[in-house]
Amino acid sequence: MPSFKIDGQDVPFEPGDTIIRAAWRQGLEIPHYCWHPGLSVAANCRMCLVEVASARPMMMPILKWDAAKNDYVAATKVKLQPACQTAAADGLEVATKSDEVKKAQSSVQELLLLNHPVDCPICDQAGECKLQDYWAEHQSELKRKRTEPVHKPKGVRFGPTIVYDAERCIMCTRCIRVCDEIANDHVLDMRERGNKNEIVLAPGRQLDHAYSLMTEHVCPVGALTSRDFRFKARVWFLKTQPSVCTGCATGCSTHADYDPRNQTVYRLRPRDNAAVNQYWMCDDGMMSYKQQDEGRVQTARVGRGSDASMALVESALDRAAESLARVSRGQLAVVLSAQHASEDNHALARLGRTLGAKLYLAAKADWTGDAILRNVDANPNRAGATLAAGVALGTTADLVADVASGAVKGVIALGAHSLQDAAGLAKLAELDAVVSLTSHVGAFVDVASHVLPVASHLEMAGTFVNAKGLAQTFKRVVAPAPGVETAWRTIVELASRLGVSMEWAGLKEIRAELGAASPTYASITEARA
Amino acid sequence: MEAADDILEADDEALELPSDPMRLNMGPSHPAMHGTVRMVLDLEGETVLNVDIQPGFLHRGFEKSCERGTWAQVFPYTDRLNYASPMLNNIGFSHAVEKLAGIVVPERGQYFRVVLGELARVSDHLTCCAATAMELGAMTPFLWLMKVREWIYDILEIETGARVTHSFGRIGGFAHEPTENLGPAILDLVPQVHKVLAECERLLLHNRIFMDRMQGTGVIPRAHAVAMGCTGPVLRSTGVDYDVRKDNPYFVYDRFDFEVPVGEDGDNWDRFMVRLEETKQSCRILEQAVSKMPKSGPVSVDDPRVMLPAKSEVYSTIEGTIAHFKLVMEGFKPPKGEVYGYTEATNGELGYHIVSDGTGTPYRVRVRPPCWYNLQSARVALVGGMIADIIPTFGSINMIGGECDR
Repeated sequence: MPSFKIDGQDVPFEPGDTIIRAAWRQGLEIPHYCWHPGLSVAANCRMCLVEVASARPMMMPILKWDAAKNDYVAATKVKLQPACQTAAADGLEVATKSDEVKKAQSSVQELLLLNHPVDCPICDQAGECKLQDYWAEHQSELKRKRTEPVHKPKGVRFGPTIVYDAERCIMCTRCIRVCDEIANDHVLDMRERGNKNEIVLAPGRQLDHAYSLMTEHVCPVGALTSRDFRFKARVWFLKTQPSVCTGCATGCSTHADYDPRNQTVYRLRPRDNAAVNQYWMCDDGMMSYKQQDEGRVQTARVGRGSDASMALVESALDRAAESLARVSRGQLAVVLSAQHASEDNHALARLGRTLGAKLYLAAKADWTGDAILRNVDANPNRAGATLAAGVALGTTADLVADVASGAVKGVIALGAHSLQDAAGLAKLAELDAVVSLTSHVGAFVDVASHVLPVASHLEMAGTFVNAKGLAQTFKRVVAPAPGVETAWRTIVELASRLGVSMEWAGLKEIRAELGAASPTYASITEARA
Repeated sequence: MEAADDILEADDEALELPSDPMRLNMGPSHPAMHGTVRMVLDLEGETVLNVDIQPGFLHRGFEKSCERGTWAQVFPYTDRLNYASPMLNNIGFSHAVEKLAGIVVPERGQYFRVVLGELARVSDHLTCCAATAMELGAMTPFLWLMKVREWIYDILEIETGARVTHSFGRIGGFAHEPTENLGPAILDLVPQVHKVLAECERLLLHNRIFMDRMQGTGVIPRAHAVAMGCTGPVLRSTGVDYDVRKDNPYFVYDRFDFEVPVGEDGDNWDRFMVRLEETKQSCRILEQAVSKMPKSGPVSVDDPRVMLPAKSEVYSTIEGTIAHFKLVMEGFKPPKGEVYGYTEATNGELGYHIVSDGTGTPYRVRVRPPCWYNLQSARVALVGGMIADIIPTFGSINMIGGECDR
């Protein structure tokens, strides 16, 4: 591989790479605002200026302040190159820390802050803002300008998800390029020049495409803020865990940001993953964390309707096992969930096979996918659940038919599923033993004779297999409610009461078994922050 | 009758009450156990056969606590090391971090540090001497010397806003500039200190009881003091003239004309006298420092990455806000590395061995508190002496519980 030098360090590059991309691959950061690895090159922020050594350097005439003469004198200085636009070439020697470069970085930074409002205390970007970081790294001087800053529109509602603050904006055009290149919707553009520069919507439009939150995600400053996250949390109090989006079968890699003090998830961010989502996520995926706290099932229930009563998980497990034991084994149905982790499904499938039960799969109905990231299958782990079963699975419609024909007298169902199935599942309400293991309310909860709460996706570590057959693990983000365990542990408890022993000490053993069962899990992608 | 004859013929020694060795716990909550420390005494009559000194009842986890905040958030903890002279601990910590980061404090700031530090030294020494006198029954010198400490606290309060726990030190300087009052106040104070010292000396130094209790008691041999790592008055009272201010001058200490008083015998008397004399030397430094101190100029480094910018900058400019934000939320970031920074605190060499991993939070802050090493030599000073001598000896070794927080 050809290589060039950055500050004396060898950096290999692929043909077509720019200096900044080659450096980025090596983990070397050349300061930048407008460049983004997933977007086209704009080269407008001038923060990434570097000095490229040359036998015949291009010299620029400048006026330099001479303190002795108390006047400007004619001088020359080397012309710097933007690292984001200059192609890497074999043997190139690039200096990113020379005096000229430092001076340029400091000047660019000073100019960007020239009219910036004093907003850090009320700005959601504070703590993860490039302007703050680069001030400390490359400027570190207090303000010289003593005149009133230029004022521009603040709090402009760009659409249902995004608010724009022109005073904070540095005009890097990343948001424009995200709309153009990722969402294929030229809804944003720039108007005016110089001090009057601002980002505007296309006439008659709103920023309402399916990837609008990516504009906020790429914004290096606090100009674009998410209406959902605005004023909710301060980022330095948040911790993050690598997770996987549950929105659809694409399985975008995410960072789940949560506050450890109140065990609350505040937002998702896309986690770079070249094999799945590159740098992006759709709005619905970004908002999918909200399901964590909506319609949760956190206590066990025994009985239905007017006979229903709350119970401790332990006694509910006992009662559920008693009811299931009365069903003859051939008439038992086990419903796996395309919404749950492979580990959960594997445990339930094994219980089902041991009991000789029929296996079904419950899944969310398809939604509108797109050609960008969204898969029409709205379930993150249909492939994983199918692999866990090892056999062809019946649908919920098949289940209802089998209940109606009397072939099925008892059901163990995993997961919460869309309420549109509720009417169809009504038949199940006539059975004595319908055990629903669920984290959220849903169709099975309504017809269940026994409801057992289990941990949600963000409350457990697990594995999803996406539509491409790629297995990705995710880590536990927040703690489940007291007494609530992961589904697979609850299934192990239920199984032991039914006389089936499954000895897994932890995820490691269960994943070893998954790996042995399918090559999909052999090359599992470990979640990494 | 024979028995009576025996008694009459017996020598004095045989008349002593027969006694078996007795084990006695002194402390941890004993009025003479400065801070909380326990001594397990083996006594034969009133003679100390052996003593096991057990510090550790005060454990706040100082060093561990430092590893969770920013570097600047260590200052309030250092206030509570030797709480008799918090300013010197502040200065010592600033000095260590600045050494690591290669920061040089402006000249005026260095003088200001010398002034406040020497004030703290005077108040600490006087407190120790006052307490020693009081514990031997001399209440009057105690009250007189405490009066001086009050005057010093008044000056420190005007300068820093707090009488004792100032938290005034900053990496790169001080929280505020000196007030205009500082120079006149010091020049006013010094003659008063000398006057009170002379009065107390008249009461104590020719007092037979005081002399008998102090002279020849609690002797620490020179070799032992050196071997144990003793510093400060405890070491100097044995005749070793080691003083960080002279031997490894920091700040502007090399510009002052002062002497390092030493003793000879390493007994309580010598330690008492060394402290009294050092007080006078500190007064000399104070007088020179206020006259040499630049009248204007910054006291702290002019670098917004190190020092918090002025509030007017923070509230009105984005650069000031960012600087403030970075320093408060992430803290000052010294370069990766480790350093041992040491200064002369009241009881000897106060060292901070600090390790930085380049982040805004200390990776490790290890303190070398002078009292910890001085305390180790206390056993030698106590064994073989009388139980009553424990009080002046322990007093003149001047263990400060806050420093011995391990």
